[in-house]
Order: sequence, then structure tokens, then C-alpha cells
Amino acid sequence: MKAAGLLIVILTGGLLIYATADFPPWAYPQSPASTHVSPRYIEKSIEETAVPNVVTAVLADYRGYDTMFETTVIFAAGVACFLLLRIRVEEGPEEQLFRHSLTGMTIRIKDGRKAPSDLEEFERIDAHWVPQDLIIKTVCRILIPFIQLFALYVIAFGHHSPGGGFQGGVILGASVIVLAMSHDLRSSLQRMGEKVNALLCAAGVLIYAGTGALCLAMGENFLDYGILAPLFRCDPVMARSNGIFMVEIGVGIAVMATMIRIYNNVSSAGRYDEGL
Amino acid sequence: MDFVVIFFLVCGLVFFTGGAVGILRFPDFYSRLHPAGKLDTMGSLLMMGALSLYNLHHFTLGNMLTSLKIILIVAFVFLSSPTAIHGIVDAGMRAGLGPWTKGDRRR
Repeated sequence: MKAAGLLIVILTGGLLIYATADFPPWAYPQSPASTHVSPRYIEKSIEETAVPNVVTAVLADYRGYDTMFETTVIFAAGVACFLLLRIRVEEGPEEQLFRHSLTGMTIRIKDGRKAPSDLEEFERIDAHWVPQDLIIKTVCRILIPFIQLFALYVIAFGHHSPGGGFQGGVILGASVIVLAMSHDLRSSLQRMGEKVNALLCAAGVLIYAGTGALCLAMGENFLDYGILAPLFRCDPVMARSNGIFMVEIGVGIAVMATMIRIYNNVSSAGRYDEGL
Repeated sequence: MDFVVIFFLVCGLVFFTGGAVGILRFPDFYSRLHPAGKLDTMGSLLMMGALSLYNLHHFTLGNMLTSLKIILIVAFVFLSSPTAIHGIVDAGMRAGLGPWTKGDRRR
């Protein structure tokens, strides 16, 4: 079985390498891509979509279908990480440790007794607990709002400059990951729990596909945003720009949630306890 | 104005050179992180400040905005770079790497 797999891989690889001989040479000006497609994008994209950044126009409008499945791949990566790593931890008869956040005193609740619910000034800690650093905590608290603001700027400004949903989503996810690293995973999960995360991850893809389906429902091709003009109350060209923006928001949400989910699963080995 | 800009640029260059030499020449992990955290931050602070000043040659609102953005970069580097170095040093201590003492081999 293994030998057959190896044979198939080698055959496919050989075939692919053989096919590279038919590629046009590097940067060949008469290649099909540079004769019809690129000039049209470069010359017409601003007239047709009112988006100054050609890359964004190609990514989210002309090749929107491609990008939709890219987003789906990211979603699938998050789900795969969850399925592979997440394990169910039995809250069994082991002891639970709580620490008073002001004095640093630790209490231990043994034999599976329920912890009192009014332990507000206590935080749950693990046996292999790692001390937190005041400097790193404080600086991260100061920086995280700016990181998130910048992420929103990157998402919204993808029309005019480098940026867009993927980059902005990664920055937005990084801000929550920084919180999880500087404090611990529990305090980041208090702000964005596992359920919210999963919902957001799916909602991002849904926004993207839903925009496409909306175009379909209004009587145009899938992801042809021009038909959405009555909804945005503007002309069809501007509607394409706005449609790209909607799609970018979906991409941003999906990428953010997936980044956070992958970090949560990998850093705590699927147990969702204290993390790194 | 130009003289001030040149002065700051040269000062920043001195700090960067010191940082680079320090990273190469110091004997161990902790002492190498020391110039990486301090001198690079100071160098980038001075050079970015000089650039934002130079950008204000023709005083318009657009230039002002660009300078403000450079100042913002300076502020965030000033906050985040030493903190990152602090975190790395902390991780090194927790991993059990002892500091270098006189007479030891370079590590």
C-alpha cells in the first residue's frame, strides 16, 4: 500500500515537472497572461470597479470565486486543527487551584467539590502555572487597542493601498493572540470563547458566499456585485466597490477567527487550559 | 534645520553601529540582547525623528500627516521593542540559561 502511494506521488510529481516544460519563459511578454488579461485589468479596473488598487479588484471581483474558496480553505484549516487537537478534559476528582489576584494567595479545592461561584477576585490556575509579567501585561494592554484599530484600517483601506481582508484579519487575530500570550489563555477565552470563535469563523465564509448568493438572487451571475446597486443606493460601478468591501469584511472575520482558533488549540494542546 | 537633521541622523547611526557591534561581540545571550533592545530602539528613535523633521521642509498639511505617522511608528517601537527583549530574557531565565561570568567561554 505504501509502495503504491509512493509510486503515485512520484508519477504525479514527474508529470507535473514534465508539464513545466510547456510554460512560457519567465517574464515572457507574449505569454497569454500578459497579452490579454493583465492589460485589461490594468486599464479597465478603475472604470469598472472604482477601486484604485488593481490587486484588490482582481482578487475580490474578477476572481472572486477563487478567493471565496481560499477563504473556505482557511475555514477548513481551522476546523481541521480543532478536530485533530481538541480533547475533552474530564473535570474529575482532581483538585482545582485558585489564586487571589491581589495577594497572590492560592487556595485548593479537593476531591471534585464544586468551587463557590462568587470567586470573582480569584483566578483559576494550573498546577504547572507560569508567572505573569507585569511589564509585558501592561504594555500589551496599551498596545492591543492600537493593533485592532490598525487592523480595521487595513481591512477598510484595502481598496486604496496594500491591505484587505486577509492581512487585516491576521492583524486582528494577532491582537487577541497577544492578549492570550501576555495574560493567559483563560483570560483571552473570556473575551472570545470557543463558541463565539466558531460562529465567527463560519459567519465570515457565510458573508462572502451570501454576498455571491445575493447577486444570484437578484438575477445576475454569482459574485457579480453590479446588480447590488439598488441595495447600496449608488451606481453599478460603485456597487462593485461596495460589494468588494463586503466580501473583504467576510474574509477578515474568517481569517481572524481561524488564527485565534489555531493558536488556542496548538498552544494548549487542545485542552484549553492556561496555554503558553 | 538641515544641521539638526544631520546631527540626529549621525547620532542615530552611532547608536545603530554600537548596537550592531555589541550584538556581534558580546559573549552571551543576555549581554547580546542588551544592545539589541536598547541601542536599536534609541537609534531608530533618533533616525525616525530626524526623518520626520526632514519631511517638514515644505510645511503642508499632507507633510504634517506623514511626519505624525513617523512619530507614531517611533512611539510604538519605543514601547514594543524593549518589552519584546524583556520577554525574551525572561524566557531565557525560565529555561534555565545562566548568565555569563568572567572567565567563561564565549557562547
